[in-house]
Amino acid sequence: MEISVPVQKTVVLEPFIKLVKLVARVFYDNYTTVSDNQQKSARSDSRGTAVVVLDALTRRQWVREEDLAKDLRSNAKQLRKILRYFEEQKLVMRVHRKETAKRAKMYSAAVAATTDGRAEDKVNFHTHSYCCLDYQQIYDMVRCKLDRIKKKLKDELEDKNTVQEYGCPNCQRKYNALDALRLISMEDDSFHCENCNGELVVECNKLTSEEVVDGGDNAKRRQREKLKVLLQNVEDRLGPLMDQINRVKDLPFPGVESLHAWEARAAMAARANGDLNPNDPSRTQGGYGSTPMPFLGETKVEVNLGEGKEDVKSEGGDSSQKILPPWMIKEGMKLTEEQRGEMRQEAKVDGVSGGASKLSDDKKSAMGNGDDKDLKDEYLKAYYAALLKQQEVAEKPTQQESAGVSTSDSLLATTSSDRQVGMKSKREEEDEEDVEWEEEAPVAANGDYKVDLNVEANEEEEEEDDVEWEEG
Amino acid sequence: MFFHIVLERNMQLHPRFFGRNLRENLVSKLMKDVEGTCSGRHGFVVAITGIESVGKGLIRDGTGFVTFPVKYQCVVFRPFKGEILEAVVTLVNKMGFFAEAGPVQIFVSKHLIPDDMEFQAGDMPHYTTSDGSVKIQKECEVRLKIIGTRVDATEIFCVGTIKDDFLGVINDPASTA
Ligand SMILES: [Zn+2]
Repeated sequence: MEISVPVQKTVVLEPFIKLVKLVARVFYDNYTTVSDNQQKSARSDSRGTAVVVLDALTRRQWVREEDLAKDLRSNAKQLRKILRYFEEQKLVMRVHRKETAKRAKMYSAAVAATTDGRAEDKVNFHTHSYCCLDYQQIYDMVRCKLDRIKKKLKDELEDKNTVQEYGCPNCQRKYNALDALRLISMEDDSFHCENCNGELVVECNKLTSEEVVDGGDNAKRRQREKLKVLLQNVEDRLGPLMDQINRVKDLPFPGVESLHAWEARAAMAARANGDLNPNDPSRTQGGYGSTPMPFLGETKVEVNLGEGKEDVKSEGGDSSQKILPPWMIKEGMKLTEEQRGEMRQEAKVDGVSGGASKLSDDKKSAMGNGDDKDLKDEYLKAYYAALLKQQEVAEKPTQQESAGVSTSDSLLATTSSDRQVGMKSKREEEDEEDVEWEEEAPVAANGDYKVDLNVEANEEEEEEDDVEWEEG
Repeated sequence: MFFHIVLERNMQLHPRFFGRNLRENLVSKLMKDVEGTCSGRHGFVVAITGIESVGKGLIRDGTGFVTFPVKYQCVVFRPFKGEILEAVVTLVNKMGFFAEAGPVQIFVSKHLIPDDMEFQAGDMPHYTTSDGSVKIQKECEVRLKIIGTRVDATEIFCVGTIKDDFLGVINDPASTA
């Protein structure tokens, strides 16, 4: 089953390819484009095609779907159906574009540059579809699938979604929870038999439990057997997949490249290489006499979200009471200082503190582009007002810590105190270089006391919320 | 789940309702007849929202009653397996508890109540956790998941669970009052 992948230009793709192959065999082995109620003739039986297509895709990057169909000697229509299904399943990315001579040329050049394959040159200039595996998404999708399988099995084992059954010890009549309404009696708490008024007992029908109430119950035994088989299946078939998922987990993912970017890069690489020898012996061939995997995974953006959070934790500290997030604080709530967040003390230290970050966060998520600018203007105004005020106060000796003196206390709190953010804002202290924050910073709540310029800010805030709700 | 659908019904009207207000009479009788009823197929008819058409009346021999075919729009409520509902607890006993979500009655059996909740008998029977922080008793609101429905011609009864993430008590009037 091993298909050698040339390491020449690739970035550890093998585990991902293996993952895709496993996924194909575990989840899509039985996929057929023919729906169940249609007559299945031998010819239309497309089972297994899905696996073949996925395997073929692991050996290519972007590929024109018609070319793929030709390579696989399969019906283009059927292939498109499968690919559409894979797109829904988040396995592949697809791009549809109107072909021009230039584009077709670029594509063939890219194919030639990155692989041994050859793209069809004579294409008519209709809209063509291209597809490519999306490894990152496949990984996510598989994890999601596995999780749901696990959950379902767990529910089954824990008997979560079964309707409770009851039996009458006198006349052996069986009931279940759906009969409950008819079974309650006025006299006591328990359910009573409709037939003989005997008190019903709960039947233990946990599929796994060993003590089955009455031994001769075939249905239950069958069910248990079925479950055993199911578990066996899960172990046999999902085991390797889970292993592979774990192996892949910490590897860098092959980056996602758009068709265009890929073509551009391929063209560049070709030019840099100078030699464009498709018969290069160092390039081994995969099955289907097809194209080895081209290089993937150079464009990468690393975002480290973790560290900031840790900081927050260590600072956010030891108040035993939970700090309510600002969006949960409503007017008229009685809150302790702790619940409002330790913003009060922190505001002094911060200088650039508090609500600003949260506000802008909200702003970004909740507002359309147009409003964005208006709000920014608002903030700017507030900022200048605050600056002026600060200059007035500047002569006075300040008792604050040196770090924070710049802007904090003298600022007007244009945001409501509701807006004080206990946690999130702190992250912003570290990266003050961000221009946007600086602009907005002065609006931050300074927490020493409530200044009642809140009204305006409140309104804004509510508007934002509205937007958010409407979207939801 | 709620649906806005069009249903049809043959309305029999007594001759004394004929006259200028025939249509109004027809509609008010329709409302009286169908709102609050339940059909296994469509669920509970919550409200009539409009009349699509009133067909030609047919006089029945001998009685003078006239039958009008009426097409009307209405909101129906039909619970489905897997659906999450919010319901008010109506009865608690050692077998579990009953709750109502509008017209639908739901039974949650004891084994579908989280294992850490124990039944406490008394004049206010309830299920509670050992630390007493969560309490299920009459009148409190729970969020539950339907795991089974029994649909008869005129009745829908559900079995639910609160043994899953985000299910359980959402508002206990006794504790906030
Ligand atoms: Zn009995």
